[in-house]
Amino acid sequence: MKSLYISQQGCYIALQQELLLVKQQKEILAQIQLPHLEQVLIFGKSQMTTQAIRACLWRDIPIVYLSRQGYCYGRIVAINRGFRQLARYQQELSLGERLSVARAIVAGKLSNSRTLLQRYARQPNRESLRLTVQSLDYLIDKARRADSIEQLLGYEGAGAGSYFSAFSECLQGNDFEFVARTRRPPGNPVNALLSFGYQVLWNHLLALIEIQGLDPYWACLHHSSERHAALASDLLEEFRAPFVDSLVLWLINKRIINASQDFEHRDGGCFLNNSGRKKYLKSFVGRMEETVQNRDGEPQPRWDLLLQQVKAFKQFVYQPSLGYCPYSIR
Amino acid sequence: MHQSLSWWALPTLPDVPTEMLFYLIAYDIPCDKRRKKIADLLEGYGTRVQYSVFECILERAQYQELQKRLKKRYKSAEDSLRFYPLSQHTLSQVEVWGEPPLTRDSSSTVV
Repeated sequence: MKSLYISQQGCYIALQQELLLVKQQKEILAQIQLPHLEQVLIFGKSQMTTQAIRACLWRDIPIVYLSRQGYCYGRIVAINRGFRQLARYQQELSLGERLSVARAIVAGKLSNSRTLLQRYARQPNRESLRLTVQSLDYLIDKARRADSIEQLLGYEGAGAGSYFSAFSECLQGNDFEFVARTRRPPGNPVNALLSFGYQVLWNHLLALIEIQGLDPYWACLHHSSERHAALASDLLEEFRAPFVDSLVLWLINKRIINASQDFEHRDGGCFLNNSGRKKYLKSFVGRMEETVQNRDGEPQPRWDLLLQQVKAFKQFVYQPSLGYCPYSIR
Repeated sequence: MHQSLSWWALPTLPDVPTEMLFYLIAYDIPCDKRRKKIADLLEGYGTRVQYSVFECILERAQYQELQKRLKKRYKSAEDSLRFYPLSQHTLSQVEVWGEPPLTRDSSSTVV
């Protein structure tokens, strides 16, 4: 997916024929070809002209407005996204069908977390990681046979707890400390990276859900509300460990992100600052554009894996008896 | 003739995803106004590599869309437009002498 991320502040995006020009004062920072663009994400205070917005709507390119930390304020989507035929099928799914998807999602998430830890557990002196892997195995098995959403959420919480306490052991060097997952606000740099990463990925999924004509407010595992597009949260679960957690480990262990320079402390929390946000997004884009084999064995950029899962969910809505199979790391 | 050959370089093969094709599009258009319009359109789909030559990596649907839009701006009596699709095989044998390098598939942008 070709996305335009505006992470710098005070940019001005204008239309010039078939191009979007990103300017700051008089300087042109980038030129983006509209026919190749799939979405625009604006972090913080940058402006788009009406002509540029209109050209995006015309081409069915959603525009997402986010805070600098990745919280989504809202989005602009073309008018023809409003007719949701598929959403009507979605609402006809039974409780049992939804539970079956919720089970698959939780088991998929836990199993991807397990695979990530297992890779690190191969190194010597990592006995405790192996214990966590075992407890995740147990929870995956439980999740596959859970018979209510409440039970599933319990297994998921237990799994996340033991996973994140093991996660800290995968960090190398002394600059970054991580004891437990904290959010709203994130308490330290590692949590800031994780939160920002999940937000960015969540917004990508939301855009794909919209584009495929699914109802983002109708989900299987998470509770929807007027303010929470729960389907994006459902589909995020299986991608957390492989797409975000592993990237965060890489950024820290390769010393790409710097604990003293790339973060700011305010409002009782820790957040990425301008340089940190840009570093994260650059690496995220780089990784998402790397080609991997998809389910059909074809080389595709990682972006395609997101789209495949949204399409898999769509397929499930059309034919619930076939079930939903989450993405799993190879 | 063993002097440096650095003024030309064998291009590395651009990564063209399976369902996309590499097109060379060339035009000859006498009318300034029409030429500008057609060039503007092509700027969105590909890269200008010479004054009237563009390289584009396009999906089938994008290629059809481009042709449809070009058709509206083109005047058959005076203008000439040429579209050359390149297969992976011939693409690997392309040579580029001078700038710019062979066009690659466009990617996401972080500003």
